[in-house]
Amino acid sequence: MKKTININVPVLARVEGEGALELTIKNQQITDLKLRIYEPPRYFEKFLEGRNYADVPDTVARICGICPVAYQMSASHAIESVFGVSISPWIRNMRRLFYCGEWLQSHSLHIHLLAAPDYLGFNSAIEMAEQYSNEVRRGLKLQALGNDLVALLGARSVHPVGVKMGGFAKAPEQAAVDDLLNRVQDIKQDAIDLINWLDTLDLPEDKQDFISVALHHDHEYPFNEGRLISDNGLDIKISEFEKHFKEQQVNHSTALHCLFDGKPYLVGPLARLNLNKEQLPEKVKQIMQGLKTQFPSKNMFHSIIARGIEIYFAVLEAEKLLTNYQADDEPCMEFEVKAGTGYGCTEAPRGILWHRYDMDEKGCVEKAIIIPPTSQNQPRIEQDLKDSLIQFGLDKPKDELQLHAEKVIRNYDPCISCATHFLNLQLERDGITETSIKTLITPPHFKNIKLNKTAIIGVGSPVEGDDLGFQAIDCLQENIKIKQLLDKGLLIYKLERPGMQLSESIKKHDHVIIIDAMKPATSNQKVAWVDVKQLKQKTNPYSSHQLGLAESLAWINSSSTLPGDIALLAISEIDKDLLVDRILKCLQ
Amino acid sequence: MNKPTIAVFKFSSCDGCQLALINLGEPLLLLSKLVEIKHFAEAGPLDEDAKVDIAIIEGSVSTAKDIERLKKIRQNSLYLMTIGACATSGGIQALRNMHNTRQWIGDIYANPSVIDSLDNSSPIKDHVTVDMELWGCPVNQKQILSAIRSLLFGVVPKDENDKVCLECKRQQNICVMVTKNEPCMGPVTRTGCGALCPSVGKACYACYGPAETPNTHTLANRFSGIGLVNDEIARRFWFINSGSKPFLLEGRRWKTE
Repeated sequence: MKKTININVPVLARVEGEGALELTIKNQQITDLKLRIYEPPRYFEKFLEGRNYADVPDTVARICGICPVAYQMSASHAIESVFGVSISPWIRNMRRLFYCGEWLQSHSLHIHLLAAPDYLGFNSAIEMAEQYSNEVRRGLKLQALGNDLVALLGARSVHPVGVKMGGFAKAPEQAAVDDLLNRVQDIKQDAIDLINWLDTLDLPEDKQDFISVALHHDHEYPFNEGRLISDNGLDIKISEFEKHFKEQQVNHSTALHCLFDGKPYLVGPLARLNLNKEQLPEKVKQIMQGLKTQFPSKNMFHSIIARGIEIYFAVLEAEKLLTNYQADDEPCMEFEVKAGTGYGCTEAPRGILWHRYDMDEKGCVEKAIIIPPTSQNQPRIEQDLKDSLIQFGLDKPKDELQLHAEKVIRNYDPCISCATHFLNLQLERDGITETSIKTLITPPHFKNIKLNKTAIIGVGSPVEGDDLGFQAIDCLQENIKIKQLLDKGLLIYKLERPGMQLSESIKKHDHVIIIDAMKPATSNQKVAWVDVKQLKQKTNPYSSHQLGLAESLAWINSSSTLPGDIALLAISEIDKDLLVDRILKCLQ
Repeated sequence: MNKPTIAVFKFSSCDGCQLALINLGEPLLLLSKLVEIKHFAEAGPLDEDAKVDIAIIEGSVSTAKDIERLKKIRQNSLYLMTIGACATSGGIQALRNMHNTRQWIGDIYANPSVIDSLDNSSPIKDHVTVDMELWGCPVNQKQILSAIRSLLFGVVPKDENDKVCLECKRQQNICVMVTKNEPCMGPVTRTGCGALCPSVGKACYACYGPAETPNTHTLANRFSGIGLVNDEIARRFWFINSGSKPFLLEGRRWKTE
């Protein structure tokens, strides 16, 4: 039997930012899968143009509340390289300490509040805290320590203010350092217990073929510096990034997709650990030897254990740096501004964060390019979803498929604020859409109609094979009764890829009928009127190009220049007589 | 008695203000005992259309869809509280209000027609009635907990609108403007952060927005006196809270085309 399942998750929970998932399964095959990021673009690269270098760390921090340190570090290193600043060992160490804080806080947040509830059968950490009180409290304690380490150098943990181009604004007081050192020493056993607990979780077996990309430093686990390497032979300077990595737009996402030599790739904790295991301190290696899970690993679900291991590493590294701490009178390097281009690439909790700045001779930004980890991981997530859902079994019930898909996505810790800076699952199995638009009971009828101010617009994207709207227009133009209306001034035309073009077109008319290919759930009719308002409220497209349609309609609604009436005709097959009949009833 | 209910919503933002809740640690577990968290996507609970006592909103309005969503939230909530610079003044992304973003979308995206983005990033209060605003980029835990606690006690939460200078003096910081000619925004900026930037020797960059009766014009003249060119002065006001009226107008005075 032919069966279509449509999974549609409109708001993905426990991810940072806003995204959705649409999935169509036909005859046991995935025919459509989109991780849709709809969080609006925030144009940071443009805000930076013309700004002085001194404003840059505090500007880029605002891209992400969870990893502001990463943004500040990549930007600082990039611009310092233009000015020829070479930082002192003290600043280098403090930047590592600063980063330890961010990894600790971000990884603990992701493990306990976002990911672990998936593997233990809860909807949130708050629910989980009843039964797993010690584990959740241990996580919150690690998270708090991370935040306090960031605040030691940055005065606060979210959008820290202590960073200056060339170093830090102020060296921390010894007393504050001593206090944190005590807490770091106390928490070491907690970090080890965390890894052992994560190793006992029932993680799916899901081996996949993927490319890991990370920074690599010969003697250290990477934070701020190194060469970019991959497990398929890449070994380049960070300034050569653009030769191999390219961003491109996909229509279902406001986040650009980044590909490595045309292929999806992985960045983040698992990629880092797969490539830099040998650089970990002996104590971490010892703990890893005793685990059921071994690295390098090709099971994406081992990311959560990789995060745990990196937490322990960050704790040990912080202990080392705090133990050797000596206050410095020069927490910031002196420099002179110069014009030029600089690159910065550091390991954000979610993976490499690459920046490029073109600076003018006054020290102002001419052009900025920022490539966050999530836009690099997005093509990999889509690829993973396809492979993982097939391994999971496409015949499973919808709820199970949805939860599995969400697990896969959350496992990447996608940060959508960063990437646009997540999930609404729309599942369709062989034509049965479980969440869909309803048809109108009363057909629309235009009152006080003036044919010379009325238009019928067929929308579609013929390139993508979505040309029903266009075919409908062709049928109408051939019909004798419609031809008579054309003579009286009625306009009929086709519009490719709606978007703003549609709204501009609609504004010109008092009455508009839009014909688009879509399949309403509550009707078997091939041609049916649907409620425009209902469509507007939906966040997910129902046809390949409808994103533009729903959103341009919403946009028109919000602007003052509303036409008198808009009616929306949904067609799933061309039925000439029904089509003409519906149109004539609406217009007469 | 039923527990009071809260919901946390995100619009265009960096997620940093929600962290004031997510980073609470132990008090987050306590909070979940005092109130029922109906909707908080990042933390897990999902019920966007639930009727709640307190709706907490992070982020600014920047797409057409946002406006309709916001109206629904207003209808469903007894009190509506905005948190952070984005929700209260449009945030750093309000910098786009001074530019032609259609052009920008064209520069960034190969197929601009699929991008839903209004020309302006605007605060929540431009679209619905807001009962209470918590300023700051980001807001801190103390602000948000004290506001929720006050509402639970049935009292009006205290609006801290003093200038950063007062807090800075209480901390006995050395004034960075007087001693180092740093263009500090403290004299016109709302307190609440704890005068963090001056306490590490940096000039305040007004992430908490304008204080009550801010004398922006005199401060801008002072910036001119310490050698800032007009464009630099405008940028001091046009940064994290460029959409707030006093800062918007002062920036406009100095902006050279």
